[in-house]
Amino acid sequence: MGEDRNSFIFRLLLTLFVILAINFFLPRMMPGDPFSTTSADEVGEEIIVMTEEQRLYYMNYYGLDRPLHEQFLVYMKNLMTGDLGRSIYYKMPVSDVIMLHLPWTMLIVVGATVISTVSGVVLGTFSAKNRKKGSDRIMMTGLIAFAEIPSFLLGLILLLVFSVYLRLFPLAGAITPFADYNGPAEQAWDILYHAFLPVVTLSLSQLTGVYLLTRNTLITVITKDYIRTARAKGLGEKTVWNRHALRNALLPVVTRTGFMIGIMMGGVVLVESVFSYPGIGMTLRSAVVGRDYPLIQGILLVIAVSILICNLLVDKIYGKLDPRVVI
Amino acid sequence: MSLLKINDLKCHYLTDISTVKAVDGISFEIEEGEILGIVGESGSGKTTVALGIMGLLPENAAISGEILYRDELISSLPESGMDRFRWKDIAIVFQNGLEVMNPVLKVGVQVTEPMIRHLEISPGKARSKCADLFRTVGLDPKWMDLYPHQLSGGMRQRVLLAMALSCEPKLLILDEVTSALDAFTRKEIRDLLVDLQKEKGYTMLMISHDITFVSSVASRIAVMYSGKVVESGPVRDILVSPRHPYTRGLVHSTPDIFVYKDLWGIPGDVPAGEEFKGCPFRPRCTQKIDICNKASPVLMPVGGGREIACHRGGIAGLLEARNLSFSYRLPDGEYLQAVDNVNLEVREGEVLAVVGQTGSGKSTLAHILANVIRPEYGEVLFMDGNVSGGNYGNRVNGIQIVFQDPFSSTSNRFTVLDAVKEPLYINKIGSNGDRLQMVKNALELVRLPNTDNFLSKYCGELSGGQRQRVALARAMVMEPKLLIADEITSALDVSTSANVLRLLKGLQNRRGFAMIYISHDLSLTLKIADRIAVMNSGKIVETGNSHDVMLSPYDEYTKRLVGSRIGLCCHNH
Repeated sequence: MGEDRNSFIFRLLLTLFVILAINFFLPRMMPGDPFSTTSADEVGEEIIVMTEEQRLYYMNYYGLDRPLHEQFLVYMKNLMTGDLGRSIYYKMPVSDVIMLHLPWTMLIVVGATVISTVSGVVLGTFSAKNRKKGSDRIMMTGLIAFAEIPSFLLGLILLLVFSVYLRLFPLAGAITPFADYNGPAEQAWDILYHAFLPVVTLSLSQLTGVYLLTRNTLITVITKDYIRTARAKGLGEKTVWNRHALRNALLPVVTRTGFMIGIMMGGVVLVESVFSYPGIGMTLRSAVVGRDYPLIQGILLVIAVSILICNLLVDKIYGKLDPRVVI
Repeated sequence: MSLLKINDLKCHYLTDISTVKAVDGISFEIEEGEILGIVGESGSGKTTVALGIMGLLPENAAISGEILYRDELISSLPESGMDRFRWKDIAIVFQNGLEVMNPVLKVGVQVTEPMIRHLEISPGKARSKCADLFRTVGLDPKWMDLYPHQLSGGMRQRVLLAMALSCEPKLLILDEVTSALDAFTRKEIRDLLVDLQKEKGYTMLMISHDITFVSSVASRIAVMYSGKVVESGPVRDILVSPRHPYTRGLVHSTPDIFVYKDLWGIPGDVPAGEEFKGCPFRPRCTQKIDICNKASPVLMPVGGGREIACHRGGIAGLLEARNLSFSYRLPDGEYLQAVDNVNLEVREGEVLAVVGQTGSGKSTLAHILANVIRPEYGEVLFMDGNVSGGNYGNRVNGIQIVFQDPFSSTSNRFTVLDAVKEPLYINKIGSNGDRLQMVKNALELVRLPNTDNFLSKYCGELSGGQRQRVALARAMVMEPKLLIADEITSALDVSTSANVLRLLKGLQNRRGFAMIYISHDLSLTLKIADRIAVMNSGKIVETGNSHDVMLSPYDEYTKRLVGSRIGLCCHNH
C-alpha cells in the first residue's frame, strides 16, 4: 500500500512537472512579446506603441531578456514559494488576477456539470426505458444532431435569439454594472440571470455525451442477471430501475463527469468570449493576445491542477460507489 | 388441487434469423409438499420453464399455454400483476454466477429488500430475520455486510437460497443450484434442502442436469429433451429402469450411478430447435423406425405413475431367449449340461455382459444365440422373429459374432480383403465395387488402414490385435443390430486388449448396436457393461445393473466371483 502511494505521488509530481514545462515554454514560442503588441483587444482601446528603448527596458525589468532555462529556474523557484509572478498587463500579482476571475468560471462550469449530468441521466433513463420506441428514436437522433453544433456557435445563436431579439437576457458580463442590491437574494438573482445563457450553452454541449452514455450503459445493465434477480423478487419496476439498474449504470457516468470538467475548461474560453463573461477563460484569451506570459502560465496551471483534482476526486468517489474497486 | 399446473407450455425465442423452440409443449403438475425434479442436458429448455413460471422470459420470447398457480392463471399477467406472486408465493434460487446478485449492494440488503417490500416489516426487523436466515443456510450473519464479489461460490449460493426463503414462499424453484459447487458444498446444500422440506414442507421444483443430485431430493422426476418431456415418473423407478433411450443414456453417463464404468456420453447433439419434424431424439436414437421421422411422440401414461413419449413405447426388446438348454455328450456316454434352462433378454442399444468362469457354458450360450448351434430346448427370438427360422446371421442389420481366437477365426491364407468381404460374398450383398467400398469403410471403423497394400496382406502376416480387428471388421461389414463378442480380448495382451475393448465400446456407443459381451474377466466387463448376467454351471444365477451386481451381489457364486479378483499389494479382498 505504501509503495503504491509513493508511486502515485511520484506520478502526480511528474505529470505536474511536464504540465509546468509546457505552460512555460509554449507561450514563449509564440511570435512577439508582451511589449510589441500592435492590436487592441477591444475597440476604442488605446494602442501604446513603445520605442525599441522602452521595450528593451521592460524586457530587462521583467527578466525576459535572460536565457530561457534561467527564466524557467526562476519561475520554478518562485512557484515553490507560491509566487505565480506578476501580470504584465494588469500590473498586479497573477494570483490576485486569477482569484478575481476564477469564481465566475467555477460558477458556470460547476453549474453546467450539474445540469448536463442530471438532465443527461434523466433523459438517458427515459430513453433506455422506451428503447426502440418512437420517443427514444426521436430523442436520440435529435440529441446527436444537436451535439454536432460547436458550443461557440450555439452560444452565438442563443445570444442572438434570447438577448438581442427577445431581450430576455443580458448581452454581457456577470453582474449588472454599478448595481445597488437590496439584500443577497437580489444579488444572487442577478448573478444567476447573467450566468444563465453561458451555463445553458456549456450544458448543452455536454448533454448528449452524458445522455448517450447513460442510455447505452442502462441498456446493457438491464440485461444482466442481477436485474432478472431483482425482477424475480417482485420489487416493482421503479425499484428495479432506480435502485438496481441505475446505480450500476451511473458508475461510468461518474468517470465521465471527471473528464467532462476538463473538456469544459477548454470550452469555457470560447463560451466566455461569446458572452463576454469575466471568467478565467476570457482572461486567458486576453493574456494570450497580450503575450502576458506570467498570467498565461498561471491560468493554464490552475486549469491543469483543477483537472487533476477532478480526476482524483472521481477515483475516490468511484471507489465509494463500486465496492469491487479497491483504491 | 395442485399447487402449480402447467398446460401445454410453449416458449419460442424469436431471433432475427430463426425461431428457437426452447420449450415446446410441456405439461406437468406439482402437488403441495411435493418435490419435482426436471433433468436434462444443457439446452433442453429446463431454465426456460423456470423463467416462464416466474414471468421472467425476455421480450423476444413468444409464450403460449397456461401456467396455473392455485387455479389462478398467472401466465398472462403483466409485470405488476406478477409481482403479487413473486417471492411471497413463488421464489427462485438462481444458478450461482458472479452477476446473479447486484455487485454494488451488500448481500444483506439484497436479502432484506423483498421482506421489506412484501412482508411490510421494518428494515431493523428484516435485518434480524435476515440474520436468522443466514444461520439457517449455514452462514455467519456477519457476512451480511459484504458485497457479492467478496463471497465464495458456495457462500453466494447459500445467500441466494436465504434470499429465496426470505418471504417463506409456497413454491421454491431451484435452478441448477449445485452445478458450480464442489462435492462437499453440494452435499451440504442437499442436506439443507432435505431438512427444509421435512421441517417446513416446502414444495419444490428442482431443475438440474445433475441427475444424482435431483434424484437424492426429489420424489418424482421429469426428463426433458429438446423442449419436451420425454419421460416422467417416480425417481427410483426411472433410475433403476429407464424406459426412454434418452433417459437411459443420461443415467448411463452419470458417474455417480455407474461407478466403475467408463464414461460414454450420448453421441450427437440436441437438435438446435430449428424446424424439426418427428421425434427430436431421432438423430441420436438407436431404435428409430419410420414414424419417428414423421411425427413427434406424445407423452403417454404407461402405468405405475410413469409417462413416456416414444413411438416404440420406450426401449424396445431386441433379443429374447426362452428356456434354452444344451448338453454335450462326453466320450464316457455321460451328458454335460452346458446350458441349462437359460432365459435372457437384450434390449436395443444396451451392453449385456455374460460373466462366469471357464466351463460355465458362456460360449455355448453365445453360439446358440448367434445361431451357430441349435438349442435342444427353447427358442431365441430376435426382433420378435425366431432366430433359427429367420437366420439373422446372414443378413444386414442382423446378429454377428466375433470369436475368442482370431488366429483360428480368420484364415491364414485369406487376404484382409477376402476375409472381410467373405460374408458379403456368401450372402450376395452388393456388387463387387460396393463390396470393396464396404470393406474399406469397415476397416476404417475398426481403425485399420484401408490401403490397397494392407488389403492384399495375408491374415497370417498380421499381429494378434490386428487380426482381432479384422474379425471385428468382418462382423461390422454386416452392420449388425446385435454383436456377440465372445471373449474377444482374452487371447490378447493387456495393452492390445484395452485398445480393442475401447474401440469396441466406442463403436457400440456411436453406432448404437446392442452387444452381448462374454467374458470371464469381471473387472474388464465393468468398464463397458450396462447390465451383467452371471453364469455358473450352465445357469444364469444373477442379472442386474452392473453397479448393483458389483456392489451388492446376492447370489453366493457372484459374491465369490466378485471376491476372487486379485487385488494389488495394497488392496485386500
